[in-house]
Amino acid sequence: MLLPRKRRRGSHANRRTRRVGLLFAAPGLLLYAAVVLWPLLQSLQYSFYKWDGFSSATWVGFQNYVNFFTDPVLRSTLGNVLVLLVFFAILPIALGLLSAAMITSSNRRGMAVFRWIFFLPQVLTSVVIALIFKRMYAPEGPINEALRAVGLGELAQNWLGDFTWALPAVGLIGTWVTFGFCMVLFIAGASSISPELYEAARMDGAGPVREFFAVTLPGLRGQLAVALTLTITAALRAFDLIWITTRGGPGTSTLTPAVALYKAAFVNPNVGQAAAIGVVMAILCLVIALVITRISEKE
Amino acid sequence: MSSRAEKIWNYLILGLLALVVLWPVGTFLAAALSPDRAGRPSADLQWGNFVTAWENAEFARSMTVSLVITVSVVVIGVILALMGGYAFGVLGVIGDRWFFPLILLGMMISLEAIIVPLYYQFRTLGLTDNLLGVILIHLGMGVPFGIFWMRAAFRALPRGIFESASLDGAGPMRMLWSIAVPNLMPAVYTLVLLSFMWTWNDYFLSLVFLHGDNQTATVALGVFQGKYVTQINLMAAGGLIVAAPVLILYVIFQRKFISGMLAGAIKE
Repeated sequence: MLLPRKRRRGSHANRRTRRVGLLFAAPGLLLYAAVVLWPLLQSLQYSFYKWDGFSSATWVGFQNYVNFFTDPVLRSTLGNVLVLLVFFAILPIALGLLSAAMITSSNRRGMAVFRWIFFLPQVLTSVVIALIFKRMYAPEGPINEALRAVGLGELAQNWLGDFTWALPAVGLIGTWVTFGFCMVLFIAGASSISPELYEAARMDGAGPVREFFAVTLPGLRGQLAVALTLTITAALRAFDLIWITTRGGPGTSTLTPAVALYKAAFVNPNVGQAAAIGVVMAILCLVIALVITRISEKE
Repeated sequence: MSSRAEKIWNYLILGLLALVVLWPVGTFLAAALSPDRAGRPSADLQWGNFVTAWENAEFARSMTVSLVITVSVVVIGVILALMGGYAFGVLGVIGDRWFFPLILLGMMISLEAIIVPLYYQFRTLGLTDNLLGVILIHLGMGVPFGIFWMRAAFRALPRGIFESASLDGAGPMRMLWSIAVPNLMPAVYTLVLLSFMWTWNDYFLSLVFLHGDNQTATVALGVFQGKYVTQINLMAAGGLIVAAPVLILYVIFQRKFISGMLAGAIKE
């Protein structure tokens, strides 16, 4: 099946269908080149200039990149992303693994309901999620009311307005949204693990915990790589939730690179700086994805 | 093994997680139906909140904008994906050794990397604050995943059906529309659901590009909540109105949605 197709590659008839193929793919490719690839190159170009969006631009070399790593406000975004990683990546993956393991090991009808519930946040619009949690975290919101009801009223506070609590509070929204997605990913991965491995583990007297570490976890390496790549880049790119709940505040305690980019591009225009942030983010995302795939394939 | 204890623990922990997911959604729903401006839950269900929110926020206009954008992106995007997937999966493309890696790259490029020049270039072209501009960007960003997704589906089809069709004298167009597409409906269906959800739920792109009368529902909701900080019940009702189209799809097509999200894990 494969061989004759390959042999036909150079022939005239095949050249002709491949030319027709290019014709078919052309509309999509052209659009993609015009609104993604070309602007990507322009981002690079913009990032070497200082420009306010209206008057003429001046060449500044790598200054915008240097700023990103030295300016205290911009640099703080990277520290915030590191904290967000715990909430956007580590916690959701841990909870996703836990719930996926429990759902697949029980394997009965009621489990579809759990799957449905855990995945629900994934289809909600981020604006709505942000509004839901703005209300949850409000001084008179359900979380503080619940704390008061159980006699822990002194813990109640304005979660999103507090320098210490705002970042973890926003982070937990990410956990809430993402863990169901990780779970679905892991359930699909677990379904392709051979049942014989489980039987063998049970025969050796492994309990659910040992079974999980000996069979399930190694079997999910590929899905773990996908989940890590997606959640880490999501933490780096966090915008909607943060813009609507805190705008990066109080102070710069919840500022992320994407929020800093938006402000630099459209609020107080420093267009070259914004482009540089975008380029750094893109490179970081690409490197993270490549490193994780490389590691997961090596072992 | 004490599998009974194991089972009870499973249900306990899963039940607790389910509560954690449902609690915020539940209080929001209760707030949307509450007569109280602070949104405290009440047994007196005010369905009229939805009407009031709809009218106060002029959702008729922003929902129409969102619908126009989403439907255009879904319809044109699926056609582009079918043509591209057919080309890369069945016909072959001249230069595909270059084009295909470029397409894969596209799935990793995020909006942040291109939004700045896009905005300033589109501004000079008069495409900001213009639905066409936003539709073009959504379409262009969707091309990589669409082609990638449909290419896999085309390759899963038995090649024999194309060979016998071409012996019968069917041209490439006929083969695509009357032979391949009817066999590919499950894949198309998932693509429709995903691209509907991604486009409808978009916030960043519309926030940057669309203002005033051209605001999408998600952005209009953001403005609405700023204006109505004291009327939580109306704000919650508005939120549910904006979330409704995707929520309804989720309830109806839950199985396809979850498997589609999975297959689409490579994007987003």
